[in-house]
Amino acid sequence: MIRLFAIFRAALANAVAASLFATAVAAQDVTTDIGTLDKEAVEKAFPDKPPYSPYAGRNFPTRPYFGDTHLHTSYSMDAGAFGARLGPKDAYRFAKGEEVISSSGQRAKLSRPLDFLVVTDHSDGMGFFPQLMSGDPTLLATPPGRKWYDEINSGKGAQAAVDIITSFGKGQLPKDFPTPGTPAYRSAWRETIEAAEEANEPGRFTAFIGYEWTSNTGGNNLHRNVIWRDNGAKASLVEPFTTLPPLGSPNPRDLWKWMAMCEEKTGAEILALAHNGNLSNGRMFPIIESFNGKRIDREYAENRVRWEPLYEATQIKGDGETHPFLSPNDEFANFERWDKGNLDLTELKKPEMLEFEYARSALKNGLKMEAELGVNPYKFGLVGSTDAHTALAAVEEDNFFGKTASSEPSATRATHPFVKTDKAVIMGWEQTASGYAAVWATENTREAIFDAMKRRETYATTGPRMVVRFFGGWDFEPSDANNRLPARIGYAKGVPMGGDLSDAPKGKAPSFLVAALKDPIGANLDRMQIIKGWLGKDGQTQERIYDVAVSGGREIDASGRAKASVGNTVDVANATWSNTIGAGEMITVWKDPDFDPALRAFYYVRVIEIPTPRWTAYDAKYYGVKMPSEVPMTTTERAYTSPIWYTP
Amino acid sequence: MLHFLVLGAVLFGLFSMVEKKGAEAPTKIVISASHVANLADRFARTWRRSPTQQELQGLVEDYIRDEIFYREGRAAGLDRDDTVIRRRVRQKMELLANDMTAAEPSNEQLAAYLASNRERFSTEDRVTFHQVFLSATRRGSALEGDAKQLAAALARTSPAVNTAEIGDPFLLGDEFNEMSQSDVARTFGEGFAAQLAGAEPGHWQGPILSSFGVHFIFIDERAKGRVPPLDTVRETVQREWLNARRIEAENELYRTLRGRYQIVVETTPDAAESETAR
Repeated sequence: MIRLFAIFRAALANAVAASLFATAVAAQDVTTDIGTLDKEAVEKAFPDKPPYSPYAGRNFPTRPYFGDTHLHTSYSMDAGAFGARLGPKDAYRFAKGEEVISSSGQRAKLSRPLDFLVVTDHSDGMGFFPQLMSGDPTLLATPPGRKWYDEINSGKGAQAAVDIITSFGKGQLPKDFPTPGTPAYRSAWRETIEAAEEANEPGRFTAFIGYEWTSNTGGNNLHRNVIWRDNGAKASLVEPFTTLPPLGSPNPRDLWKWMAMCEEKTGAEILALAHNGNLSNGRMFPIIESFNGKRIDREYAENRVRWEPLYEATQIKGDGETHPFLSPNDEFANFERWDKGNLDLTELKKPEMLEFEYARSALKNGLKMEAELGVNPYKFGLVGSTDAHTALAAVEEDNFFGKTASSEPSATRATHPFVKTDKAVIMGWEQTASGYAAVWATENTREAIFDAMKRRETYATTGPRMVVRFFGGWDFEPSDANNRLPARIGYAKGVPMGGDLSDAPKGKAPSFLVAALKDPIGANLDRMQIIKGWLGKDGQTQERIYDVAVSGGREIDASGRAKASVGNTVDVANATWSNTIGAGEMITVWKDPDFDPALRAFYYVRVIEIPTPRWTAYDAKYYGVKMPSEVPMTTTERAYTSPIWYTP
Repeated sequence: MLHFLVLGAVLFGLFSMVEKKGAEAPTKIVISASHVANLADRFARTWRRSPTQQELQGLVEDYIRDEIFYREGRAAGLDRDDTVIRRRVRQKMELLANDMTAAEPSNEQLAAYLASNRERFSTEDRVTFHQVFLSATRRGSALEGDAKQLAAALARTSPAVNTAEIGDPFLLGDEFNEMSQSDVARTFGEGFAAQLAGAEPGHWQGPILSSFGVHFIFIDERAKGRVPPLDTVRETVQREWLNARRIEAENELYRTLRGRYQIVVETTPDAAESETAR
């Protein structure tokens, strides 16, 4: 039962009707062996009463910062080829809330600024496009360079784009293609750093330095984004690691070596996060390494968990939390799935690949690997990001600027193929308007946000900026859900999302304080769930979903589920909805009813919003077009927190 | 000013020396030992190993070939109408100007720069306030009535009273320290932020509506944005100062060099020739 009214205050007692406040029990004197302990004496001895301001002296994060850890600009070869003309500086300006003119010539602005952004252009061929477009002589001296330049200038840019990307895939690039060490490459990296340095405003907006290492052997996505904690002075001591030999390598083990070298050589601190396991065809979270066919070893596990504290679980190229094939009992699992094949659709998906592609199954396999190797390679926190190739981190359903410049708003973007091969087609409407990274940092600076990422105190959202709190410990009680400041009790009694529990006190099960607040301009919440994964006695992994709070007075049954739907207020034709269902906020304490202290486990929170119009509905309304019947027109936005792990 | 004149002269001297050297021995190409070492270094940086003797010879040969074609091409005037080469050379000149102005600014210079560009470095206006919150989710249809009662009660309350335990808990707490207007908008929505912006400090105000419910707010303090002391923004000021110097240097160099030229722009065939102002 939620206590609606808090403690009575003397000064207001007579002024206020009783319905607003409940009275508290008066402080009573206690008689002990050594005499009467009166209240006054106690207060003198122990000034245990906190200062008037409950915020004084605290140093825990008080608000989440929202940002994008994954955004491409015209400096990315493929983005440039697809028509992106906005560079890193434009990307930061847009993220800060300024209006810009998009590559397709449309005015674009966010509903509200982001708190941070990492521009992550591809390390291979960084700056190639600006170099080509400015008529760089060394590049134009090569036959393909000259051909592309002429094609683009005579309006055949799309043809050039396809040709460039295909050449890259086959490793047939012109001799003076920018690689680390060439002047063109150095200048692109320097400009990337400068753009971040200029945009970075500690306390107000954080602009990280970073890049994407785009390992794509055979079209299988093993991409990682690399982010610096430090400023340009350190980042400019190195040039990014690429995937093309001889300087680069497509094997993540080599990326980790490079990261270690970079930290050692420059004194910088960096981290990497992978994304789009859904397009890796079974290679993102391997048990058998695709590069050598061997079972992953302790060295792999140690490096992976050291360098990759986070995973990008949702973005425009589909959501990667879990898949209906892997989680048949999860009615929310069938959400924005891209499961036809690998990144370039040159190889179709087989069901047995899925286990090694999705976040939830990787978290489960991580427990198994830990039991085997002593180290959990897949102990990662969760974030969402855009992966937009437009320099625009715009993934709200009613303000979605698409994946590439050619999928910026237009009457036909939904019904154009996005990727098409002789094997399969992904249509434009399949793009997902998702997501952002939420980080519980102590302040908005590179250092604080980076450190929070390292400790995995993060969650993913598919776009809305809901606030989600998640603490785990051994002593949370139902009354903690009525605390005036949930964060204070949360940090005092437990660990936040991304943290660890161990040493279970005898006879106790872990309890969790879970809270969510809707996006101030967004939709109400349907429910909060805890998803538990564990490694059974038989060595098999298991998962289970618990509804821990649901809106609208629905019942949570004995099995921990509320099967009744929240309803649907979406008016597709007008692309509107109303907050007449769902709840604006939720808070509860949940204790694991099935806890076995001998078994490894993890717990994470999923918050589901009420149904809202999908971006395709806004497109249909704005352009007055009719979408084909297979196009989904509503969506249920959500957030996924980093797990809290229990280790016996 | 003198500084730039000197710089211009240095640059000019540099280039004429290079010209002269080339002109003295137009058919002689000397590749110094240090240049050979340089070629080898560059190779090693790219390939992570030293070149073999044969490869080194190839590099030297390639360089000689470059040089001969370059000289002959220039002699034939092939560089003159090429926009790519012209732009490249211009960029190099501008970069040179940048490099020569890259100096550590003194404290006084930075302080003066900060003082004359106050608005660029000053912080945003900040507001510190606390609230009593009535949750729409918790109170449902009672919200409006409860808000009315609370409004009446707060109106009769002395500002000093502790309201920290009144109303409903709010996930982000009830006290908000030094928030900028944009922070407020991001947390509570634009409408709330606009109303808060107009509210006076020192007494309870409300109800203010947000999508979460009803808020009564008490503004403890408004801090106007201020110019921070140099020490806390030194890096930013220095960056801006350097950037300004760079632009200034480029322009000065250009003005100085341009001063040496008489420039004639022919407009339409009918119009008279006009000499541009310097």
